[in-house]
Amino acid sequence: MSFAPEDRLVVARGVRLRFDPVRNCNVLLAPERVLFPCPTSVEILGRLAEPRAFRELVEGLAAEFDAPSEEIARDVEDLLADLLAQRIVRVERRPL
Amino acid sequence: MSAPAREPWREPPIGLLAELTHRCPLACPYCSNPLELTRRERELPTASWERVLEEAAELGVLQLHLSGGEPTLRSDLEAIVARARALELYSNLITAGVGVSERRLEALAEAGLDHVQLSVQDVDAEGCDRIGGFEGSLARKLAFAKAVRRLGLPLTLNAVVHRHNLDRLERFVELALELGADRLEVAHVQYYGWALANRAALMPTRSQLDRSVAVVKAARERLGDRLLIDFVVPDYYATHPKPCASGWGRAVIVVAPDGRVLPCHAAHVIPGLVFPNVEEKPLRWIWQESPAFQRFRGFDWMQEPCRSCARREIDFGGCRCQAMQLLGDPEATDPACTLSPEHARIMALAEAEAAAPPPAFRYRRLEPVPA
Repeated sequence: MSFAPEDRLVVARGVRLRFDPVRNCNVLLAPERVLFPCPTSVEILGRLAEPRAFRELVEGLAAEFDAPSEEIARDVEDLLADLLAQRIVRVERRPL
Repeated sequence: MSAPAREPWREPPIGLLAELTHRCPLACPYCSNPLELTRRERELPTASWERVLEEAAELGVLQLHLSGGEPTLRSDLEAIVARARALELYSNLITAGVGVSERRLEALAEAGLDHVQLSVQDVDAEGCDRIGGFEGSLARKLAFAKAVRRLGLPLTLNAVVHRHNLDRLERFVELALELGADRLEVAHVQYYGWALANRAALMPTRSQLDRSVAVVKAARERLGDRLLIDFVVPDYYATHPKPCASGWGRAVIVVAPDGRVLPCHAAHVIPGLVFPNVEEKPLRWIWQESPAFQRFRGFDWMQEPCRSCARREIDFGGCRCQAMQLLGDPEATDPACTLSPEHARIMALAEAEAAAPPPAFRYRRLEPVPA
């Protein structure tokens, strides 16, 4: 799965990311599901609380982690495809 | 039964199923409530539910399933939802959607409700009325679903399927798409309580089951991430039993309308267990130490073939309530498992019932109908 630079991504409705002090980790709460996201997912989902273009997401991560955008894009693409398939993230194909 | 003293259970529960009331406008013959229903006078008051939610959050519960009966019949549902939100619990309303106004739904959304699960008994108006025992139910449900979407709440359509509606499974998928649902739950009836009493009236044939598997597979391939479809097979026809409630006392706490706490909503069928009440004991003690919750944890209670089975940590011997109901022994291997010596007999029973003409429904009512 690949994303166009202007694809707008956002956390799907009904999905909530929070810290759980009992388990001492982040948890992802969705309809009938509880997931324990990896640190990279947490970083991405935190940035997708509001709709954001794929390009913007990648650039933000590249700046934060001081890595080349192409490398970041490759890394997050698979993760995003997985989050999309699980309806944790949704994509708005047309730019607003 | 002399169970040795055990260490308290340290793993936290994930979900709390709050059966707020047994009252319900519908009378579905597969209702998961016990045959002996709790009356309104014995329901927990608001303050007790609020305290239960606090104790649950402290214990590590993450999701709250507001169920019944029909939970919207509780006039304090908004207060309960608001309390859940304040405690950061994810709240899921499980409703029949027949008597809920848009204004009420709006109030629940404002209180912080996270998700709505709406039951649809059939896609055909006549079938929907006949199964739910409520006239004009489908139109009300569709209006309710539209209101859910107008308010921007995520929606799951819950389709309990059986011999009377399985042939319209494709239409359930279409309906979920038309309504803009995020999820469709296709759940074959699980035969406990009322459903067990109605088993012969509900059990599908093997070919109906096989067809439903194919329909779900095709819909998943066609729709991809447009619609999540969860599928629960009827375990009489399964190869392995389901890890009921993800294992006894491992993931879920059920609080009944009168405050009794159970590891599973059917657990009352197992004799000899005393279910503590939230009005008398802390939820933490009930979860970690009460004999009822400790009873089928671990593997020491198991018989063969479960005890030495490689799958014992996957399905935990299957469902204790089913072993009790079908074999009279809550420690036996769930006969849904092909490794159970009783499996063939139970499956033959189901196949014979499915092949015979369906008897009339015994509807779920608060007043038991004399046999």
